[in-house]
Amino acid sequence: MVLEWVIVGIVAFAVLVFLYFFNRFAVLGNRIDNSLSQIDVQLKRRADLIPNLIESVKGYVKHEKSVIKEVTDARKALVSAGNIEAKVKANDKLESALKTIFALAENYPDLKANTNFLELQRELATTEDKIAYSRQYYNDSILAYNDLCKTAPGIFFAKLYGKKPREYLHIAESERKNIEVKF
Amino acid sequence: MNESRIDFRDQISRNKTKSVILIFAIFLVMVLLGYVISYAFEPGYFFGIMILSIIISISYILISYYNSDKIALLSVGAKEVRHEGEYKQYYDLVHGLTLASGIKMPKLYVMKSNQINAFASGRNPEHAVICVTEGALKKLDKKELEGVLAHELGHIGNYDIRYMTLVAVMVGMISIISEIFLRSLWMKGNNSDDNKGNAIFMMIGILLAVLAPIVVYFVQLAISRKREFSADATAVQFTRYPPGLIGALKKIRDENQPEKKVNKAVAPLFFANPFAKELGSTHPPIEKRIQVLEKM
Repeated sequence: MVLEWVIVGIVAFAVLVFLYFFNRFAVLGNRIDNSLSQIDVQLKRRADLIPNLIESVKGYVKHEKSVIKEVTDARKALVSAGNIEAKVKANDKLESALKTIFALAENYPDLKANTNFLELQRELATTEDKIAYSRQYYNDSILAYNDLCKTAPGIFFAKLYGKKPREYLHIAESERKNIEVKF
Repeated sequence: MNESRIDFRDQISRNKTKSVILIFAIFLVMVLLGYVISYAFEPGYFFGIMILSIIISISYILISYYNSDKIALLSVGAKEVRHEGEYKQYYDLVHGLTLASGIKMPKLYVMKSNQINAFASGRNPEHAVICVTEGALKKLDKKELEGVLAHELGHIGNYDIRYMTLVAVMVGMISIISEIFLRSLWMKGNNSDDNKGNAIFMMIGILLAVLAPIVVYFVQLAISRKREFSADATAVQFTRYPPGLIGALKKIRDENQPEKKVNKAVAPLFFANPFAKELGSTHPPIEKRIQVLEKM
């Protein structure tokens, strides 16, 4: 009789452990997916701001067509990019093109005094911060997930449930080169 | 990294356990107070008063559990803000930090005070509030304000808010109840001293009334010290930028004047001690916090 209860206890405990790890993988996996969609939301917000910026800048910087084109091209690449990594790369290009525009704006006192322009500049900086934060959280989420996949006892359950460590969001440093501002 | 995460989870469960213990302790203290009061005043109605005191303590605990944040906000006269207009930066910074931490967006409040300060409250991350002073919004730059807000979000994520607010509100009430008891004892003592039994219970009553807030005050003092350090660490985990928080702490050290309007009971909730350089501080010394942050 006692032995039977011990067996029931052990089986119940084992079931709980299996369920616990199944849920851990599900929760951490969802967190990764969710943080990925957060990056997407912020990138979209950023892309939506660009046309307004171009509109407010166009009238002032008539002689810097190439810079404006660079920004619109980068925006196009961002909007049409298929996966998140391509989007983040396009956003980095956009960011450097924007830096050029904001540096140029220093030469146009009228533009610098334009409240609409200033508001957009602030808003773009805010979305850039938010993108950085969601990327950080995305990588943090992947770290937590991968820790679970690679350390005992999670490693046994990862094999059992067929869970593999996920890839970090890698952005090559060479793509974030400094921008030259020509006057 | 991995270890800090485990620490994080440990602290959450510790906070939850402590909240449960606190609630039971408060319940016992209140029932004990009821017991003493019933003996001191009307021994004939002992059971009636005891049942009443149990009902009062349970409803008191339920009310303060679900409304602790509102009570705390009310006691400092905070008002809720939306993300438009002058509070846009405040809103955007908190929103960015929720993205960095995965914590749900808390409700945002502002309180009138020229001091640089802030606090977080609520019973869990889903029902959380952050409140900053007008002084903090005015005097801190973007990165410093972000550091302070990240610290408060750290309190939210660590479940410190539940425990700290419960302590503040429940302790606050105990001191009020004891005060009322003490006052009525004085009035009674003036016109009657019938028997010795009553006098002894009166003595115990006075002792309890005096001791209760002091005891809990010391408990409070012992916990909030560690919590501030871990919230600072969590803030850095979110922002990856210790200089912001360090800058804010330095400005508080150099510029903050004591704020007398803040209730003593809710003082430990704040980012920095509202009474500034008073003795018996409920907060770790600012210098120490800066030192720890500079090593990160």
